[in-house]
Amino acid sequence: MSSSTHILIAVLALGALFLIVRLVRLKALKAKYSILWLTVGTALAVISAVPQILDWTAEKLDIWYQPTLFLLLAIGFLLLLAMHFSYELSRMENRIRILVEEISLLKEKLEKDD
Amino acid sequence: METAAIIPAFNEAESLPNVISEIKGLFPDHLIIVVDDGSTDGTADIAKEFGCVCLSMPFNLGIGGALRLGFRYCMDRGIDCAYQFDADGQHDPTQISSLLSELEHSDMAVGSRFATDCSYEVGQSRKAAMNFLRFLVRIYTGQRFTDTSSGFRAFRKPVIKLFAKEYPVEYMDSVEALLIASKNGFKISEIPVKMRERSAGQPSNRNFRLIYYFLRLLIVLLASTHKKKKD
Repeated sequence: MSSSTHILIAVLALGALFLIVRLVRLKALKAKYSILWLTVGTALAVISAVPQILDWTAEKLDIWYQPTLFLLLAIGFLLLLAMHFSYELSRMENRIRILVEEISLLKEKLEKDD
Repeated sequence: METAAIIPAFNEAESLPNVISEIKGLFPDHLIIVVDDGSTDGTADIAKEFGCVCLSMPFNLGIGGALRLGFRYCMDRGIDCAYQFDADGQHDPTQISSLLSELEHSDMAVGSRFATDCSYEVGQSRKAAMNFLRFLVRIYTGQRFTDTSSGFRAFRKPVIKLFAKEYPVEYMDSVEALLIASKNGFKISEIPVKMRERSAGQPSNRNFRLIYYFLRLLIVLLASTHKKKKD
């Protein structure tokens, strides 16, 4: 990896870490999601500090062009994340539905008592 | 024995008064539950005006969600028998008694438009869709239904309990409900009923969305692994 990409990744990683910590402190990001993103930020920071890790792993996996490994990992991670969000969404939708039912039943009870 | 009518209504203020008064005239002892599915045209006010139980949902959840709420209310109240009835005036209240008497020897009764020739006209694409659904349901339940999407149905207490928790909430709920009831070992029977033209409101089917709903239903079918054969 060239030194300019190196610096770029380092800056991005530091920026991401900073943003995550800030969001958690502002309570805009739930702790459970922050762990995930902090891990990603740290991984990015490590890779930018020691790019040899990426080169070495790529070589072991017979990947000739090292950034491919990075992109592969990134896409894989994002796919998993998107799936996780779909799962969370389904769960939330279900819960909202049950809440709507409860509210409607309670409202009816209230109006009847008046 | 307490019997209830569940009427899911989304912006049906125009046709609802007629539907309610017809049921009341024929069956004064039935409890009428109107589930207002987030209407903006005063559907809820009409239901209250007529002295019905009115369950108002804060926003539109679709007919499946509305029905599930109706079942839940019936379960909480210990209703013995319930039937679902359309708010758009499509169903004929004089057919209710034959639907209910069918419950004497089954857990769930479905009123079919097509079991005999009752001259109910449907469009070409709807017809194809209905044929396909019939085929799917037949494979899955081992039972032949002529009208899988009929919304004119009656249920006994155990089915009400099941549907209070598990009634499908997406479009084509009626087909999925048949599958769920069958999977849980309930006896479902179908009887021919006469139906009317819609007195007001728009038909809920939109052709361009049909493909999506079919795909979804297919996935639901594939996902339910414990397929139960009829004895």
